[in-house]
Amino acid sequence: MLDVDYIRPPDLDGALEFLNTNGAETKILAGGTDIMVDMRSGALKTRFLLDVSRLGDLRKIEMKDGQLSIGAAVTITELLESDTIAETAPALQKAADKFASRQIRNVATIGGNVAHCSPCGDTIPPLLIHDAEAVVVTAKGQRNVTIEEIAGGPYHCALHPNEIISHFVLKLKPQEVTFADFQKIGRRQELAIARMSMAAMAAKEDDNSISFLRFALGSCTPTPHRFYEIENFLIGEVPTENVLWQAGKILAEKMLEITGRRPSAVYKEPAIQGLFMRMMSPLIC
Amino acid sequence: MKKNTITIRITVNGEKKELDIPAGITALEVIRDRLELKGTKEGCGIGECGACTIIVDGRAVNACLMFATQLDGREILTVEGLDRNGELHPMQEAFAEKHAVQCGFCTPGLMMSARALLLEHPHANRSEIIKAISGNLCRCTGYQSIIEAIEVAAGKRVAPKKE
Repeated sequence: MLDVDYIRPPDLDGALEFLNTNGAETKILAGGTDIMVDMRSGALKTRFLLDVSRLGDLRKIEMKDGQLSIGAAVTITELLESDTIAETAPALQKAADKFASRQIRNVATIGGNVAHCSPCGDTIPPLLIHDAEAVVVTAKGQRNVTIEEIAGGPYHCALHPNEIISHFVLKLKPQEVTFADFQKIGRRQELAIARMSMAAMAAKEDDNSISFLRFALGSCTPTPHRFYEIENFLIGEVPTENVLWQAGKILAEKMLEITGRRPSAVYKEPAIQGLFMRMMSPLIC
Repeated sequence: MKKNTITIRITVNGEKKELDIPAGITALEVIRDRLELKGTKEGCGIGECGACTIIVDGRAVNACLMFATQLDGREILTVEGLDRNGELHPMQEAFAEKHAVQCGFCTPGLMMSARALLLEHPHANRSEIIKAISGNLCRCTGYQSIIEAIEVAAGKRVAPKKE
């Protein structure tokens, strides 16, 4: 049995009020699939668990002011089953499909996946290519935080103890985008912790040159990032096999610049290029 | 030890229960130790093997990864809730017919994953079945007999005739 207290506030105001007083001793519980593992291993100790999984304000997927709003307590299964997500953020839906196992997808939430700040959180690269921001609330107000700012480092959440992510705001997939994908490499098909993950969406001109590209990499660097070098390199280019290989090479070089050349580079360098080719090859005309 | 005791109201296999439980106890501990339903197994304890799979409000979940408090107000189905008055559920029949059980440790979890799938898609196809049970490990059967059993339960395959 774990030594902890459990609080389930009736509404968001109640949750924020509780955090205002007890934030430093509290972990926010949504699905709990990471918290339970960390608490049972002893890696995480906390006095209070604040269950936000049933707060209606955190449970909606909706279009608002021309943007997509996803509540922080929306489960991965709900992402997967949402027509709105399929239409406006297809790479996120593909990531949801490859996320852990069915049992975990049914309870784990997008807010938990982001706030856990694992380098290999599957929802993060797709959120990055949609320029997503987290709307973070306190008892006193709210602010918008970019996804890249939330992770101060691996497993280190930069949000304050009195703050809750209420929802994410994503820019919609532009109309002209015809390609969106998420790919990862792991040790098994399901339940794989990504060794490498990436998300992209792209549009092409009539002459087949790339007119729009968003690309983000996860798992390979301490925190997931957009890779603007790849976007700038490929925009305006006609994506031939050769051009994509070159882009993959740039990606591998940039990754190694961030991580340093560790022993795993022997594997990661060709693997990242291969995964990039696998994902981007539908763009070859 | 803190004294935070929570009262939860749950429906387990059709029966309403009200339980006073410590806040830091898992759903699996409540099921096995408080309710004495020993069919649900603990394998890895970190959500990788699926031996503890139960159905909560119609969806498969890992009981080892849930706090029991998260079950409050929910409807829970464990492997003990499959049969009706001693008569095997079609899923159990299918597992028996197709020899989908060897040591049996993974079987309750696999059956609950399969049951949850068929609750959502009563005629799920082979690839949907494979995906739905991918969070369940079996080290004996090699999975083929399990997949076939679920195909039988989904009406996609005819069970061999009894002798």
